[in-house]
Amino acid sequence: MAFFAWLEASKLAEWVRMSTEGYPTVITLHAIGMAIMVGLCVIVDLRLLGRFEGIPYEALSRLLPVAWVGFLINTLSGSGLFVAQATMFATDLMFIAKIVLVFAGAATAGILQPELAKASTWPGGKPPARVRNVAAIGIAFWLCAIVTGRLTAYIMLPI
Amino acid sequence: MNHVYDWMLTTWINKVVLGYPWSWPTLESLHFLGLCVLMGALLVMDLRLIGFQRTIPLKAVHSLMPWAICAFALNLLTGLGFFFGDPYNYAGNWSFWAKMSLVVLAGLNFLLYFFAVEPKLLRLGPHDATPAVAKVVGVLSLTFWFGVLAFGRLLPYLGTGGG
Repeated sequence: MAFFAWLEASKLAEWVRMSTEGYPTVITLHAIGMAIMVGLCVIVDLRLLGRFEGIPYEALSRLLPVAWVGFLINTLSGSGLFVAQATMFATDLMFIAKIVLVFAGAATAGILQPELAKASTWPGGKPPARVRNVAAIGIAFWLCAIVTGRLTAYIMLPI
Repeated sequence: MNHVYDWMLTTWINKVVLGYPWSWPTLESLHFLGLCVLMGALLVMDLRLIGFQRTIPLKAVHSLMPWAICAFALNLLTGLGFFFGDPYNYAGNWSFWAKMSLVVLAGLNFLLYFFAVEPKLLRLGPHDATPAVAKVVGVLSLTFWFGVLAFGRLLPYLGTGGG
């Protein structure tokens, strides 16, 4: 707990919490990063589940790096948002659920990336079942991450 | 306009949006889901229009359009829900009007795509470079839509609503 209190007392935390521009800037970057990361990941997942058939799988592996840019934006902006209220977030189950879901969603993208690189070797040119499963789970994780992320603003579940 | 806003406050939509503690967060979650799908589809379409991702056939880009339109429709509906719930707050907020202006600009840009760009694309090969007008439309689209996203998120901080 002392660690989170120390984070919360940092200059960055103070800037996000107290300055006029801090919180609005960081929260807006967080929405932009989310749109890029979640948006592109969901399109990639839907493609693997059989939508947008004209889009070649190789193109997806070139879209995922763009998605990771969104993830980077959100890791940075999210860190800013976290330190601003570190002691509160660190003990809020709703937030913990959200952050676990976000990293689980990112993990599905991390799993799919090397799979997409091997797309030319897929039997019948279709993604194997395990790849499709990861894509379906990915969509579910992102959906739940969005809902729990929104709910952090409404419901606190202190540990 | 005040009589319109007053009427909104008397509708069943207002009652539903404000009457249950879960209404507003549900609308927000759907609004965020819609914006992710919309921006994801737009990124793929517009990057191809601008000239990146040329391994994507131009025709395939088209298959994303129904998803983008449905996502926009979802956000239009959930957005109307917010507005019916708290009309004076939004109407008095310049950030809201900046956002709506950008939505209109994005819509006009879409008309430009539909009438000036798409006919040109139909005559191209699947992996051809795109004409200058397509690149302009693609850049404008991403600019307008990310602007919509930014002003939407900044809404509570920029304007001081009348609500």
